[in-house]
Amino acid sequence: MPPHTSTPKIEFVDVSYHVAGTQVLSGFNLQIANGETLVLLGRSGSGKTTTLKLINRLVSPTSGEIRVDGKPQQQIDVIRLRRGIGYVIQEVGLFPHFTVARNVGLVPKIEGWSEDRIQARVQELLQLVGLEGTLASRYPHQLSGGQRQRVGVARALAANPEILLMDEPFGALDPLTRDEVQREFLSLQQQLHKTVVFVTHDLHEALRLGSRIALMEAARLVTVLSPHEFLKSTDPWASAYVRAFGAGLEAAADRGTR
Amino acid sequence: MKVLRFMLQNQTQVRDLTLEHLWLVGVSTILAMLIGIPLGILIAHRTRLNKPVLASANIIQTIPGLALFGFLLPVPWLGARADRLAILALTLYALLPIIRNTYEGIRGVDPAVIEAGKGMGLTESQLLYQVELPLAVSVILSGVRVAVVISVGLATIAAAIGAGGLGEFIYRGLSMVDNRVILSGAIPAALLALLADFGVGWLERRLQPK
Amino acid sequence: MTRLRASLALLCCAALLSCAPSHADRIVVGSKNFTESFILGELIAQQVEAHTTLKVERRFYLAGTYICQQAMLAGRLDIYPEYTGTALTAILKQDAAGDKVAVYDRVKREYEQKFGLTLTPALGFNDTFAMEIRGEDARRLKIKTLSEAAQFTPHWRAGFGYEFMERPDGYRGLVATYGLKFAEQPRIMDLGLLARALKDHQIDFAGGNATDGLIPALDLVALEDDRHYFPPYEAVPVIRQETVNQHPELAGILAQLAGKISDAEMQQMNYAVDGKHRDASEVVHEFLKLKNLAQ
Repeated sequence: MPPHTSTPKIEFVDVSYHVAGTQVLSGFNLQIANGETLVLLGRSGSGKTTTLKLINRLVSPTSGEIRVDGKPQQQIDVIRLRRGIGYVIQEVGLFPHFTVARNVGLVPKIEGWSEDRIQARVQELLQLVGLEGTLASRYPHQLSGGQRQRVGVARALAANPEILLMDEPFGALDPLTRDEVQREFLSLQQQLHKTVVFVTHDLHEALRLGSRIALMEAARLVTVLSPHEFLKSTDPWASAYVRAFGAGLEAAADRGTR
Repeated sequence: MKVLRFMLQNQTQVRDLTLEHLWLVGVSTILAMLIGIPLGILIAHRTRLNKPVLASANIIQTIPGLALFGFLLPVPWLGARADRLAILALTLYALLPIIRNTYEGIRGVDPAVIEAGKGMGLTESQLLYQVELPLAVSVILSGVRVAVVISVGLATIAAAIGAGGLGEFIYRGLSMVDNRVILSGAIPAALLALLADFGVGWLERRLQPK
Repeated sequence: MTRLRASLALLCCAALLSCAPSHADRIVVGSKNFTESFILGELIAQQVEAHTTLKVERRFYLAGTYICQQAMLAGRLDIYPEYTGTALTAILKQDAAGDKVAVYDRVKREYEQKFGLTLTPALGFNDTFAMEIRGEDARRLKIKTLSEAAQFTPHWRAGFGYEFMERPDGYRGLVATYGLKFAEQPRIMDLGLLARALKDHQIDFAGGNATDGLIPALDLVALEDDRHYFPPYEAVPVIRQETVNQHPELAGILAQLAGKISDAEMQQMNYAVDGKHRDASEVVHEFLKLKNLAQ
């Protein structure tokens, strides 16, 4: 399915990245549309996490250009760039010495929001991610894995960024909780319409959550397909994935948005 | 006890020497923190520098205390005043535990936390002051604790070169062959070390991250 | 929480800074770690106590000239007894030259200029090095000075303290100045044992101090330094300028001690404490009564 907005929200133009003698990404070209959920699918070492980190400049490309809202990254102050992008990682990385409220409210705080506005926003977000408002005064170590992950998402959404980057966010959760949070993610996306770039190695998850799947292998982009197209694809890598994941994929693809 | 009676009779002197001792230890520890903590932060962030910095601090530590005092005596401005010299020597000795623990404390912060912080758009200094330092403070204090306890002991030797402090009682007592005088220096010095160890240790535990 | 931490830190620093050494209400008197210095320190202390309302704190037995000097500079001591010759060579690091008045004046001037310290008038005796022989030998050979004794040295064995042997203004200079030639290499012994060894005929020539208590007690004679090889070592109270400024009466009170102690009197006090094991403060008190200085 081709993107239907004129200027891509995020664009990779011929991007390469190599470090310590390894070519991590090579000749990468991709356009990500506003409001879509783009899944980067691939094995470990395929370059998908690096691709994600190039978007919020945690990593800088060796060559090529990355554009956000049409502007080259070089022209955007990196701190402002990052403040406008929500970032969720697998280990979550909640600040252990901050309460949930302080964790979630951190970016609004450093952006200068008033105390009242921050508190209201924290409550709003906790509700949004399906958590009790009373959790606001708890510390991360007092929460379960699933709760922590949800707080991580709430934190990423706090300053209302237009872009959300998620690096295997549900990978460490047990299957039941994972299923729950995936469902919640889908409903959240329906409400918020953020541009999401989502990294995973799990085809089920990719089919379920993504509007498009970008398959990566050995530092290269292999193909970009919608979930249904992916299942029917004759591309050797795509079909290898489908075979490896076996049953239940159709159902997963059907539950995807759009 | 004879010693206690002696100490009571000479309480102003015991107090004076104890304050002198605290002054030597306090100033040098604060200086070591002012130099050592920023250095520790620097090498934690730019790990290329960590070997030379830690190695230098280590070398200083291996020089025996009295020998270091001896080396510094001929130095023009320093050697003119024994307390200046003693404070410098004590500061140098306090550097290694403080630098090393600052380094370890910051390196020991969960990398996921740092990554999340960076990704959120925290500036370097926001990351340092709001995340890294608060999470490392307990380990850093542990280094300060070691430094203070070492300093209290080393400062007793400083009296040998005329810097004053509780060591003076010890040396005078040795000259006079009077145990009461010796112990009037040795006991408060030992108590100071214990107090520092306990006090800073308590602070460490209070500030430990959850 | 951070405000609590910040104020705690500030409090600690304030407390620490208040530990800076200072004492406006008392006089601290020091001394070095040998009997004579200790007696002189006690003398100064009792003199101040008797004639002022100031409290005196005693910090005696400090381990040497350098320690005392440092304590004076840092303000930990107000007064201590020093020797002009030692001040000149060990502290000012200059060559010893000139008679006792010249040396006193030079030391006083330099101390005032360089260290903010000053001297009150000398106490009277000259604790220079004393080359001692047995009384019986001195009388038999009819010798009083080192020049006269020089010719007999080839028959004598000598004993000196370690420091005297090492100092450039010690043994080497002495031998050169007077042309002394001893029968064998001198024995190095503890200063306290020299007098005994001389008495017991283990040695015939000993390098001691002029005010050794044992000189009269054991019938020993100190040979006169007729060529003035040894610099003068007049005992003087050294006092901080600041202390004099704060308590101007101290200058006059210490000046009362000027010239009050002869060589013999110092010897007697040393012997009373070292030889007869009497309490130093009692010995000093008696002395002050004798000189009509006690109250």
